[in-house]
Amino acid sequence: MAGKEATVFILDLGETMGEIRYGRKQSDLDWAMEYVWDKITTTVSTERKTALMSVIGVRTDRTDLQGVIKDDEGYENITVFSELKAYLLPDIRKLQGNLKPSSTSSGDLLSAVAVAIMQIDKATSGKNGNPLKYDRRIIIVTDGRGQMDTSDLSGFTSKIRGDDNPDAKIELVLLGVDFDDAENGYKEEDKDDSKEQNEATLREFVEDCGGSFGTLAEAVEQLQIPRIKETRPTPSYRGTLTLGDAVNYQSTLTIDVERYPCTMVAKPPSASSFAARSDLAGSGTQSTGTVMGDEYPMDGQLSAVRNQRVHQVDNPDDPGQKMNVESDELERGFEYGRTAVHISESDANVVNIETTPGLELVGFIYADQFDRYLAMSRSNHIVPQRSNPQAKLALSSFIMALYEAEYYAVARLVTKENKPPLIVLLVPRIELDTEALIEVELPFEEDMRRYKFPPLDKKLTVSGKAITEHKDLPNDELIQSMSDYVDAMDLSTFGRDDEGEPTEYAKPEDTYSPLLHRVSQIIRWRATHSDPTLPLPGPPQILTKYSHPPAELLQNAEDQLAALATAADVKKVPPKTKGRGKRSRADAEKPLSGLDVDALLGNPKRVKIDATNLIPSFKRAINATDDLDAIQEAADAMAAAIRKLVKNSVGDSAYGRALEAMRVMRDEMTEMEEPEMWNSFVRVLKKELLGGELGGDRREMWWKVRGSRYGLVDRKKCFASGVTEDEAREFYKG
Amino acid sequence: MAADWQNRNAEEEEDEEEMDDTSYKTIKDAVLFAIDVSSSMLAQPLPSDDKKAERDSATSAALKCAYQLMLQRIISNPKDMMGILLFGTEKTDLKDGDSTFQHCYLLSDLDVPSAQDVKQLRDLLEDEDEASKILKPAKERPTMATVLFCANQIFTTKAPNFSSRRLFLVTDNDNPIQVKQDKETAITRARDLYDLGCTIDLFPISRPDQSFDRANFYNDLVYPTSPSDPDAPVTVASTTKVAKSGDGISLLKQLLSSINSKAAPRRALFSLPMELGPGLHISVKGFILIKRQEHVKSCSVWVGGEKPQIATASTSHMADDTARVVEKTDLRKAYKFGGDTITFSPDEITEIRQCFGEPVIRIIGFKPLSSLPLWANIGKATFVYPSEADFIGSTRVFSALQQKLLKSKKMGLAWFVARKNAAPVLAAIIPGEERYDENGEQTAPPGLWLIPLPFADDIRACPEQPKEPVTSPELTDKMRVVMEQLNLPKGVYDPSKYPNPNLQWFYRILQAMALEEEIPEKADDKTIPKYRQVEKRAGPYIVEYGEQFEAEFAKANQSSAIPSRAKTGSKRPKTSGADEDDDEVKSKKRIKKIKVENDSDELTDKQMADINNKGTISKQTVAVFKDFLASRGLSTAGKKADLVERVQDYLVEKGV
Repeated sequence: MAGKEATVFILDLGETMGEIRYGRKQSDLDWAMEYVWDKITTTVSTERKTALMSVIGVRTDRTDLQGVIKDDEGYENITVFSELKAYLLPDIRKLQGNLKPSSTSSGDLLSAVAVAIMQIDKATSGKNGNPLKYDRRIIIVTDGRGQMDTSDLSGFTSKIRGDDNPDAKIELVLLGVDFDDAENGYKEEDKDDSKEQNEATLREFVEDCGGSFGTLAEAVEQLQIPRIKETRPTPSYRGTLTLGDAVNYQSTLTIDVERYPCTMVAKPPSASSFAARSDLAGSGTQSTGTVMGDEYPMDGQLSAVRNQRVHQVDNPDDPGQKMNVESDELERGFEYGRTAVHISESDANVVNIETTPGLELVGFIYADQFDRYLAMSRSNHIVPQRSNPQAKLALSSFIMALYEAEYYAVARLVTKENKPPLIVLLVPRIELDTEALIEVELPFEEDMRRYKFPPLDKKLTVSGKAITEHKDLPNDELIQSMSDYVDAMDLSTFGRDDEGEPTEYAKPEDTYSPLLHRVSQIIRWRATHSDPTLPLPGPPQILTKYSHPPAELLQNAEDQLAALATAADVKKVPPKTKGRGKRSRADAEKPLSGLDVDALLGNPKRVKIDATNLIPSFKRAINATDDLDAIQEAADAMAAAIRKLVKNSVGDSAYGRALEAMRVMRDEMTEMEEPEMWNSFVRVLKKELLGGELGGDRREMWWKVRGSRYGLVDRKKCFASGVTEDEAREFYKG
Repeated sequence: MAADWQNRNAEEEEDEEEMDDTSYKTIKDAVLFAIDVSSSMLAQPLPSDDKKAERDSATSAALKCAYQLMLQRIISNPKDMMGILLFGTEKTDLKDGDSTFQHCYLLSDLDVPSAQDVKQLRDLLEDEDEASKILKPAKERPTMATVLFCANQIFTTKAPNFSSRRLFLVTDNDNPIQVKQDKETAITRARDLYDLGCTIDLFPISRPDQSFDRANFYNDLVYPTSPSDPDAPVTVASTTKVAKSGDGISLLKQLLSSINSKAAPRRALFSLPMELGPGLHISVKGFILIKRQEHVKSCSVWVGGEKPQIATASTSHMADDTARVVEKTDLRKAYKFGGDTITFSPDEITEIRQCFGEPVIRIIGFKPLSSLPLWANIGKATFVYPSEADFIGSTRVFSALQQKLLKSKKMGLAWFVARKNAAPVLAAIIPGEERYDENGEQTAPPGLWLIPLPFADDIRACPEQPKEPVTSPELTDKMRVVMEQLNLPKGVYDPSKYPNPNLQWFYRILQAMALEEEIPEKADDKTIPKYRQVEKRAGPYIVEYGEQFEAEFAKANQSSAIPSRAKTGSKRPKTSGADEDDDEVKSKKRIKKIKVENDSDELTDKQMADINNKGTISKQTVAVFKDFLASRGLSTAGKKADLVERVQDYLVEKGV
């Protein structure tokens, strides 16, 4: 988006900057650096090679101009820390070591400005000395407690303003530590005279240069507001909006339009996978990053990861076994159900539908009857093509007609040749100086899942009768108190605009993506805080502002909320009642008629486990009895059946059944609070599986048990268990 | 939905919440149709000239439904199983030589359907001779207990660890009991299925002379809850319509509609507390009811053997420097920054992502529905329905909220964290009103919809446009008249009228290739506008609009500083082949193409031909070719060489 930039930071590193003032927790320099680091790391995080930066220190102990100016005279106690360049992480690290308050107060801030101007000039001029197209900027942070020679100020001013050459003008920003700020009502008490003098001089200078003069306090506060990355708009479709068929019919309408994104979710920076470098342990010489004399494992210690893919098929000669196959024996294909359909290279396009680009109107619908939840994609703008007044006029009439008739349009969109068609909704958007169509995708038939849900305003009985009074239906009191509460919590006029007038609260324009800014904030923070023992800072308040109702609004709605809570009478479901016993879901286990099936079966006390009806008979067996021996007997029978399934399995054919039986047994034993019955079984089973005691190599079955997490039941899952969580974890190993 | 959890791409992987133990179970669905074959089920409807009259016997209607569902599930649930069991047939065949279950005939085994299964079923529906061989009722009917235990065995062996297993029972016999004992054994076997974790879904059919009464028998067999998802909202048993033959709407259509509503198992996406205010929580579940259905991704097929086989790919990670294999647990996440990497420990990553609190839907206030413009959309909406699982009384409070929002046309604004690790969003909560069609079938469920809203970071500015020209009231009116002619039926968009042409085409071709049938020529694309209707209904009004437009545009051109663009001699080619002679006659009716014939950067045929003849055609830029081709309705795809070739082909064809 942005063009080339050259920014020079001038930092006052004088000894006075090392002091801690006015009850702040950090020195003036550290405070200033919050701002400077934020600026620098933000620029670095964009990875733009055309954003050049440099940092110049003034009132430093030493003098080092890095050849920007040959003659040191008059430029004492100024240090140029780097040339103007695109900063990288190592540059930040290097700079960090250098930026410390000095033990001197000599050094002229204005001389540093001269150095900065020269440096910019040098870096942003073409071969013939002509200024290149750059955004030039000098940012000064100072406490105004140094000495200044103001003799040559007018020369600087004219240079910065670009009087001789407007293409080379420089934006000047000065941030003062504890400078007086009439606008925000700040005045430093007992300010010493020289500082007062300096403030006045600097203010005049900056204002003459057309720059901005502010306080550090204000700047640091504004860092809170996340910056939004702007993106150059690129059309995702250029073509026509048509009504009718221009090929076969006479009456058609064709408007040349372009489509641009209107919303596009900005994703947080994504992390990539790396492997810890193995060679470091030995030589440690190959690290690619600059390790900054510290021992923190920050950079250069990770190596990229490459993914390797292997293809396998069932071995036709040895059922149940897999074999690797070479990629030259593979062709592209698709699954149709369980049938593999392969498609040779020459036929590759046969599965794609042939389409021609276009945005074609299908018909019009009533705006007020449109179900808002059908809009299923991000939105786009449809605007007339550039410098095409016909298209502008035609689209203008189309938009206005939709608006006046209260219609939306439904259209078929193909953005590029042979792209699948989409059905889209076109909605007019008319604002102060823009007219556009908003376009969102609508679902096709296959995209709708037509599940049915019971009504919320009545209750239907099994026989189909409607009941209007029921514990699941709100009574009049609840309806009224809900209505009062909703009205009391109205946000439509709760916000305040720039003029303090009531406006809508939490408009999308005012909200910032919490995770996006959180992640980038913390990355930038870590870039300048490499000590891994430091606790991470919390998210800035602005990112959590909308996570709760505004306190003031809540306060006003306190009574309504209390009334609602009383009328609602919601009760938290207690955590599962402890103690052994029959399950409480007996109600749910009755068929629609409410028949007591157990009674029908004569409430047998003992049920035999039936291998052909394993799971149901097991469930019935343990439900039928309270007797521990009987339960143990059922568990043993179940365990035997599971072993038998595995033992008789051809390849992995019965593993699924065995696993399902294991799941049921594990769940039931946990619920009966007899975890030991399960644990002792699964311990033995593991041994048998790995020891080849169940009809050959059954390691794969073990992997499946492990993958399904059907291991030991630990104390966390069931209080009656004697197995610790560590033990349970350990069990999966091997 | 189930697949959602598994088909995440790598980038989203870090969003993954920690799955609890139960989620490791295969989240798949197996449906077994059990279709009654009896003389009444096979009775042909009386022949009739009425187009709407019944044409199918009940059994054949059920088979057609099964066929439809099979085709549909191959598209929508490619990993799910389906099978068809006929009972009451003279023949006995369960594909495994076992004859325990007399008069049960397994038409297609419970499995992910293959192309052969589709073909077999279709042949049966099309070939009456073949059908009559199988669809022959037995003299001695199997008991319901036999059928249910047969289903039990099929589910146990073929789909042992599917989390959703459903028996679709289609019958017209509401009391299939011969001796009293039959009922008790049937009830026991139904209970077995319930304990096994299988659901019975009954699709009853009424005989012309006798309506189906569930209370006679089936209410003892069917359970109100699903054992695999006990606190899912209960399905409304009573609204399942009893299909009556010859009653306007065909039996097939009715049956299809009720089966369709159960086509996919309902599974909650999340189960969360909804906070109405501090200290006031209810429990809700979220469901995905709208989701773009994509076709299956391509896979690798091994063609080295006798039969093509799908090859499964596995990925291993290797360190770039040493080529050693890295275990997943040894991988570390790092952010690229300033030419280097910035790392955090796994605990820190968790702290960074989870600093916004626990998953919740927290209402922070309410606004009028009008504060939700259509542009403020970033993706699909999620349906929310109450659940009593964590808070008793949730349903009534939810209902009160939904009714209030509907009545006052308001929406809630909520802070929404869907899962641990999920990015928080602000979401609009809008009410969804329950609606029924003319047959009393629910078409829109009652509940709330969560619509994720864009943040400032997600909003792109609208590109700037010139202010002028803008429409006049007269021109707008003319356009409005055109629009009024072209309302969609009832003035609403009904998704069921628009199957996805790309998806249908894809599977149509795949099916043809799998069965080695002829590949169809043209796609059946319901999204293509009905041009003839546009012409018929709006034609004259479009012409009127066009005339008004020319007048307005001329006026705007005069009065403002819009540079007038002289039309060059070139015209967009008329593909219809209209002769120049016709032009005069049609000029009255002719509608303007609001297309600027931009003289500077778009070339006429003649100019292009000259360039071609001079041999400098390859010196033109790609953009020139694209404009040239695009304005002639030709493809602009491909590399420059392709474009040149296409331009030359065009010129040759035109003879210039």
